Amino acid sequence: MKIGVLVKQVPDTATKIVLTANGRGIEEGNVKWVMNPYDEYAVEAALRLQGPLSAEVVVFSLGPARAVETLRMALAMGCDRAVRIHAETPLDAFATGNALAVAIAASGCELVFGGKQAVDDDAGQVLQIVAEVLHWPVVSVANQLHVHAGNDGITVHRPAAGGVTEVVELGFPAVIGCDKGLNTPRYPSLPGIMKAKQKPLTEQQSRDLLGGVSPHVVLQQFSLPPDRPAGRKITGDPENVAQQLVDWLHNEIKVI
Amino acid sequence: MTHGVQGGRFLVRPVGEADPFIPEELSPELQQLRGLAIDFVEGEVIPRDDDIEAQTPGVLPTLLKKAGELGLMMVEVPEAFGGLGLGKIAATVVAEGAAGQGSFTAALMCQTGIATMPVLYFGTCEQQEKYLSKLATGEFLGAYALTEAGAGSDALAARTKAVKTPDGKWYLLNGEKQFITNGGFADLMTVFAKVDGEHFSAFLVERTMPGVSHGPEEKKMGIYGSSTVPLILQDAKVPAANLLGEVGKGHQIAFASLNIGRWKLGAATMGQCKRILRRVVQYVKERHQFGEPLAAFELTQQKIAEMAIKIFLCESIVYRYAGEIDRGVAALDPAGATHFRERAKINEALAIEASISKVFCSESLFECADEAVQLFGGYGYLREYRPERYYRDNRINRIWEGTNEINRFLIPGTLMKRMAKGGIDFLTELTTILGELKSGFATVDPAVPLAVWQDQVNQLKKLVIYVGGVAVNVYGPDIQQRQQILHDMADLAIAAYVADSALARVLKLHRRDAAAAQLPLCMVTAYLARRLPELKMLANQAVANIAAGDAEKYRPYGKAVGKFLHYLPFDLVAARRDIAAVILARGEYGW
Amino acid sequence: MGNDIVVVCEGDAGRLKKYSLELVAKAAEMATALDATVRAVAVGKGLAEALQVVGPYGVTRATAIDAPGLTGHYNSDAATAALSTWLQQVQPMAVLSSTSAHGRDYLPRVATRLKTGFISDAIALTVTDGRLVARRPIYAGKALVDCVVTGSPQMIGIRPNVFGLPAATGGVATVETVTVEIAPPRETIREVVAAAQRVVDLTEAEIIVSGGRAMGSSDNFRYIRDLADALGGTVGASRAAVDAGYIPHAHQVGQTGKTVNPTLYVACGISGAIQHLAGMRTARHIVAINKDADAPIFARADFGIVGDLFTILPILTEKIRKVRSA
Repeated sequence: MKIGVLVKQVPDTATKIVLTANGRGIEEGNVKWVMNPYDEYAVEAALRLQGPLSAEVVVFSLGPARAVETLRMALAMGCDRAVRIHAETPLDAFATGNALAVAIAASGCELVFGGKQAVDDDAGQVLQIVAEVLHWPVVSVANQLHVHAGNDGITVHRPAAGGVTEVVELGFPAVIGCDKGLNTPRYPSLPGIMKAKQKPLTEQQSRDLLGGVSPHVVLQQFSLPPDRPAGRKITGDPENVAQQLVDWLHNEIKVI
Repeated sequence: MTHGVQGGRFLVRPVGEADPFIPEELSPELQQLRGLAIDFVEGEVIPRDDDIEAQTPGVLPTLLKKAGELGLMMVEVPEAFGGLGLGKIAATVVAEGAAGQGSFTAALMCQTGIATMPVLYFGTCEQQEKYLSKLATGEFLGAYALTEAGAGSDALAARTKAVKTPDGKWYLLNGEKQFITNGGFADLMTVFAKVDGEHFSAFLVERTMPGVSHGPEEKKMGIYGSSTVPLILQDAKVPAANLLGEVGKGHQIAFASLNIGRWKLGAATMGQCKRILRRVVQYVKERHQFGEPLAAFELTQQKIAEMAIKIFLCESIVYRYAGEIDRGVAALDPAGATHFRERAKINEALAIEASISKVFCSESLFECADEAVQLFGGYGYLREYRPERYYRDNRINRIWEGTNEINRFLIPGTLMKRMAKGGIDFLTELTTILGELKSGFATVDPAVPLAVWQDQVNQLKKLVIYVGGVAVNVYGPDIQQRQQILHDMADLAIAAYVADSALARVLKLHRRDAAAAQLPLCMVTAYLARRLPELKMLANQAVANIAAGDAEKYRPYGKAVGKFLHYLPFDLVAARRDIAAVILARGEYGW
Repeated sequence: MGNDIVVVCEGDAGRLKKYSLELVAKAAEMATALDATVRAVAVGKGLAEALQVVGPYGVTRATAIDAPGLTGHYNSDAATAALSTWLQQVQPMAVLSSTSAHGRDYLPRVATRLKTGFISDAIALTVTDGRLVARRPIYAGKALVDCVVTGSPQMIGIRPNVFGLPAATGGVATVETVTVEIAPPRETIREVVAAAQRVVDLTEAEIIVSGGRAMGSSDNFRYIRDLADALGGTVGASRAAVDAGYIPHAHQVGQTGKTVNPTLYVACGISGAIQHLAGMRTARHIVAINKDADAPIFARADFGIVGDLFTILPILTEKIRKVRSA
């Protein structure tokens, strides 16, 4: 069996976001690039099945040249080979999902893991799109999983609103989105890092994979959220101040 | 000399003639190794800080074993013994990345440095096979037992005694070693003892051998979590096969190990400087006074900039050292019968540079820790905040691995030995300098980029040689007792090596990409602009001391010193502001 | 392509979600600018009745989609198939939906079947040149981006609860039930496990109420617990309160305690030492209640009340209970 893992290189979550002068993107000068944190759970999920299913684990990433670093990290953690799909500028989720799906189909993977969302665009769509293009079922968010005894399917826990958990069963092939809590991702080891150099890393062009498929979402303008307005400070009759706070919680910030 | 490495030569070679390794040349894999060390410390070690510092049983050894499983202990161990067989550059990235929790750092540096290296360099094949793979994976934790109550800086005065049993199978060791880092849990210790009370020798002692025990944990000023105990040997029964090296040659092992430890301490303290600066930057951006973040104030910017400059300088010397070692090792026959002994000799050849790394980096860390306390103000004095820890934990670094005073003496001392042996031709250089003092130093073309600063650093080296020449001339062999003069000479030599390494790095960067070299250039010039006038004053006082304050005797020396290092006006405020602006925007110095 | 705007509604236990209703009202408000008609739709069993409520918010045409294989429980495969089959028949110009847990899961799938784009988690909608422009947070809200779906239909998911609910106008909706044919779902919902009653970890808590030294005793911490209960939140504390023994260390927020990132942080009787601020500075909304008007915490608070904790907290708790039960 072959297992695919989808990873994305994203700015470290501690990065201060600064927009470019034209407001069409972010300044990358001081950005520290890391593997999307949710993708680490995906890599770990795949690696835990590598032995039991005698699986080859293939890691995919769509991105610019620097995305190689993230693929190397996945290889250092234990993935067997890597495929980088070159896209100089970001594609929308639809095109990204299509390109990845074509590459996955060609690789022969039957089970694909990915992070439930990337912490840069926070969209959480690519896995579902990949699944649809491949005509596979998908659980976009999972925080527990186990493969059935006969290796013919998988049971996952999908968190839903209000703390509810849906226990879902799927056959293979399938796409699974990985959430925090699914596992504890391993560190790559030093020998792993050194060995990763020797592991195969191939490159493909997104335009070759996409054929005629084009993006469907256009990003027009980036902006920064407005500064936190100066807080208000009130005093007086307890009944009255409590009411004002309740009104604020209820009507303005809507937490109750 | 097959490896071709000769320490101390920086003094007689113009800046940039050597091609130092610079951290900007690190391969992606090595950067990943460092990233792993950083992630491990931040993800596994720092979260256990309270438990480590309370010496909760098992916590530190368990973390060390985890580090071993990830491979953090196997960098320099040859592949044949289960290691990665990488060199000092790789070991440097791991050492700087793994710094961050003082007690853990101390334990890990002990393991990979002074605990492992004696076996690597001096072990027999059998000893290497038996112990290296275990040390490489963390299955065995190691320690190094040299110091005794009466033998600290004067290590060879040890009283621990080893006597061979009549059947020739064992050595019985008796004595007490003290201040043994990792001693509370180490499985294997390199113990120094005098065979028959005379011949200084080293032994590989396992904790489970009969007669081996340890005393209680010392109560220390800092790094509470590290284990520091006396090692007690009462008829400790050590197999004769565990003699390390030859009887009576223990000093070679002791000194070779210390050289390794000194460079490694430099690398680790540099890593800690980076962490401190990151914490300080975060604080000065958050903390507001007079309606502004501290970061907006000029004096804060000065402190931030000076910390960044120190880190740049530390990197320049530590990586240069590592690069020279690796270059020397690469020139050796890897299968040669004396391969590992040759490697120990390379380390010995760079003893001066190792001492400089130890002194300069440990003092940089001390200054960074001190400024961190200062910038945090009242909070910096509270136990609850990190700077109080930085301040206590860092202090040991100026004491162990040879006090900074001993290391300073070693610098001019070793230089003079090299001179006497003809390894470095200081006499010719001195003659040239004396000629230049008469004729004047060659003028430089100010239009050539960096030429002015290159000239300044070259003059600094000449000043070091000149002061050294005067001292040797006046004192003769008696100079070894003139500790204050030796100390000044060491400071001059340290500064020369630091300036030489940092400027050579900038020249290299400048050739690659002039724009990207802007910040490094700014840091190095700011250092030189501040430091060179101080060094000239130091040299001036040194020759006045040598002249015993006699105006007549002083006059020619003073006149000569006056000809070095003409003052170059420089706007330090602007330079520091520019440096601080970059660091503040980045949020850290960066790895 | 028609000129319908379809609003995909969600329901639970026979009631339409409030955020769906808000979206219906928002769509009705924008329909004029787009020269469009709004249709409400819900996928799943037993929502026909519930859809009636869209009438008073300006939408008179509603459809309950049923399909064999749809049960009371959400099934990603079935929901995807049912909705996309229906949308392929209707061919609307735009589809608006909520990015609830389920919405986030299946709407990208629906969009892919329709060969169009989907924007998730929008927090604002405008109309420019006859097209919907969605604004959505990226980088965990550290930046925003305006984006447009160029495919057809324009599909946009909106984060729940970003639009308020306008006053109802009194219209009446006609609800039809449509049954579509779908392939049998490949996923089986084996079980749906209700939320376990568990102590929320501070670091994951959405709402935190913290008490400081001013609470005066461990017994007085009941005021904090009551308010936290009323808000559905978790109890935190300052170091001073922990050191004084009022509450265990596990509750400590700050440098030597937990670093938290809630939506709402209520600091009661906490002066705001930087130690504490370091642990909660990323809270989205901060409320401070303290009798010392000069306490540094007020400089960080969005909403500050200067007054006596022991008088204000019970009143506040009671009022919040009322609002939440309404």
